[in-house]
Amino acid sequence: MNSENQNNLTVKILDQFQSKISEILPCNSNEIHILLNDNNSISDICTFIHSNLDARLVMMVCSDERRIGKKFVLRYIFERKNEDIFLIVTADIQENGSFPSIASQISSAYLYEREIRDMFGLLPKGNPDVRPLVLHEHWDNQIHPLRKDFDLNNKVPLNTENDYQFLTVEGNEVTQIPVGPVHAGIIEPGHFRFSTMGEIIINLETKLFYTHKGIEKLAEKMKIEDAVLLSERIAGDESVANSMAFCQAVEKISELKIPKRAEQIRVVCAELERTYNHLGTLAGISTDAGFAFGASRLNILKEKMMQLNEKIAGSRILFGVNIIGGVRSDISDEQKNTILNTIGEVSYDFQQVLEMLRQKSSFVDRLKNTGTIQRKDASDLATVGITARCVGIDIDTRKDHPYSFYPFLNVNKFKTPYKQIQHEVELQKRDGDALARFDLRVEEISDSVLLIHETLDDLRADSLSNHKVIENLRPYRHALGYCESHRGQTLHWVMMGENNSIYRYKVRTASFCNWPTIEQAVLNDIVADFPLVNKSLDLSYSGNDL
Amino acid sequence: MKIHNPIKNNHKGDILDNSIYTQKDPLSEILIPQYYRGRIVFRAEPSQHAKEMLEDICPTKAFEKSQMRQFSVDHGKCITCGKCSDKFPEFINIENKFARSVKNRDSLIEISTGEKTISDKPYEEIGHDLKNKIQKLFGRSLAIRQIDAGSCNGCEIEITALNNPIYDIERFGISFVASPRHADVLLVTGPASRNMEIALKRTYDAMPDPKIVVAVGACACSGGIFGDTYATTGGIDKIVPVDVFIPGCPPRPQALIYGLFLALNKKI
Repeated sequence: MNSENQNNLTVKILDQFQSKISEILPCNSNEIHILLNDNNSISDICTFIHSNLDARLVMMVCSDERRIGKKFVLRYIFERKNEDIFLIVTADIQENGSFPSIASQISSAYLYEREIRDMFGLLPKGNPDVRPLVLHEHWDNQIHPLRKDFDLNNKVPLNTENDYQFLTVEGNEVTQIPVGPVHAGIIEPGHFRFSTMGEIIINLETKLFYTHKGIEKLAEKMKIEDAVLLSERIAGDESVANSMAFCQAVEKISELKIPKRAEQIRVVCAELERTYNHLGTLAGISTDAGFAFGASRLNILKEKMMQLNEKIAGSRILFGVNIIGGVRSDISDEQKNTILNTIGEVSYDFQQVLEMLRQKSSFVDRLKNTGTIQRKDASDLATVGITARCVGIDIDTRKDHPYSFYPFLNVNKFKTPYKQIQHEVELQKRDGDALARFDLRVEEISDSVLLIHETLDDLRADSLSNHKVIENLRPYRHALGYCESHRGQTLHWVMMGENNSIYRYKVRTASFCNWPTIEQAVLNDIVADFPLVNKSLDLSYSGNDL
Repeated sequence: MKIHNPIKNNHKGDILDNSIYTQKDPLSEILIPQYYRGRIVFRAEPSQHAKEMLEDICPTKAFEKSQMRQFSVDHGKCITCGKCSDKFPEFINIENKFARSVKNRDSLIEISTGEKTISDKPYEEIGHDLKNKIQKLFGRSLAIRQIDAGSCNGCEIEITALNNPIYDIERFGISFVASPRHADVLLVTGPASRNMEIALKRTYDAMPDPKIVVAVGACACSGGIFGDTYATTGGIDKIVPVDVFIPGCPPRPQALIYGLFLALNKKI
């Protein structure tokens, strides 16, 4: 971490806003907290950081800190492009107060602002969308679950009379198609409202949060060791990524390091998770493109990987790998060989299936130019993961904010300037369609296999966890934990309370950033292509709804 | 794609030829590896101190001391995290066998003194006459409508796996259908989030009789780790009547198949 860069940034911000800033605090090695005097300047400073300092808004966190002598506190977290720095603009908001919306300058803020309005009852002044988001229309609009004076077990009666206002598209021959929340396949719930002209989709509106389970509120009442299990269940297929991000946030608060071997085991499991999920998504793409044979072969490979997971972690979807301070179980020499043999076999078979798929012109044609994302949309909406990379936005948390054992591995590092330029040219060629996302997933599977080999070849002899982490947590300290799941960057912000309780736990998975892109990606496609576009984006409902 | 140490699988042919990958008996436990965290069993009656500790360390409060002073574990709540068996290996063991599905919610509660409430009838016995039973009741087929009432997607991964060539439940005449109006069985996952309450009720109402409801996973059985909060209802039996409970977090494909067999058994 370059402290010179940190200083430069601090100077640039102070130059502009000296009078509006009360303090600038560096924290947890790569966070710079910018504390504002009042909330009138939020919009100016955020816009400056966003456009002049080339930073993306990656999360907005609100917390109710009235009990510890403050008000509501809003934190806008920005990430600098290709630099390991998080800029965090912090402002206090009055109870029942409002804060200026930045959604018209920074589009990616609009969902965070609506979420904060539902959960805390603070009004984003100027946000054009006043409809409820997390708590559906049936809920009383005076209910704000993340306030400290709201009881976790408060069963609020629901009013089933209220209706949700969808955007209506008017005109001759425009038809509305409502889909969901119960879908045709084995899939999570969400509502899609299509407006079509003939077969062409001219507008799509998504309504999510059907699986809202109150995870953030629940964590505040849980023991910190149990909250790890909860974080695994944010999204079942991202269990390692989410629990790793949570554990890393807590470990940062304790300021203690965890053993290298534990970090290596975490990385191996994270890459196993990426592999089995990408195989599953590729199988899904093949199903939705109408090619059952390809799907059945890929599903065999996914099943092999899940059986491998079970031999390593005791759970087919890798539950129970991470604990605070390290990992729960070791990888023995025998298990190491099992991993290497299985991924070798799966790689070989995968190669055969892939060659076959690429030769089927009907399959490739179906993916080409389907569900195309524009580069501008992807960057305005601050998308992450494959959804960003498929249009050539080169972000990957493993590379941008090296964590755990990744700094010691070869993650997209280019040894020569020629290779670097070659990579940059290749980025420009990505079209943002379903085929680009298919190719990227294939590439990531082979990268993961290499990373697993690299890590296992140099497995250090070390203990499995650092038990002191839990004893060393001071109240009201906070930290960001992050991880690259197979869907993209997942960010967890943890603030500790008294007696090792959690004061505030904010989760933002990759799906929250990527969901809005589907509304753009399907435009001008036909309705029948929607499942294919949806699968190629691979979005989680549960990870979004929390 | 660069292949790192590719290994050709010698046991079977090329993945693209038509060799058979499907397991003959999907209920066999031979394939379950020793590390799998399946079912909690009592090795011995826990000491008084251990009982108190167990009640405290279990994240889903699956251990309970009842009025009769009996100590029990509720498989419907257990998320198989293994905290209890790590702490008290002398009293608690976590087997690599999965907890069996039951028709009655209370049967998922197992008492520490050794009286087993869950039958240990071999799967094969039920498996062999499955096909006949389906034929008798539904004329060769059983149609399932799956509904996610707020699950984490873990159960969906396992339910999807039932359709892969390894488990391939379609060979038994069991298929997943797109509408509740075509369905004999409603397969429900998740703690029933309150935002899904209305949709779940309406889906149930849309089914033709006889309606069989199967609760899948710890969340659907009891709320699981998400419990009973402002946003959840703490188990789908609070909203629709449940015929079969399949415990597990998530239940493995074999456990799901076993649960579906049991669901059929009830209505005959």
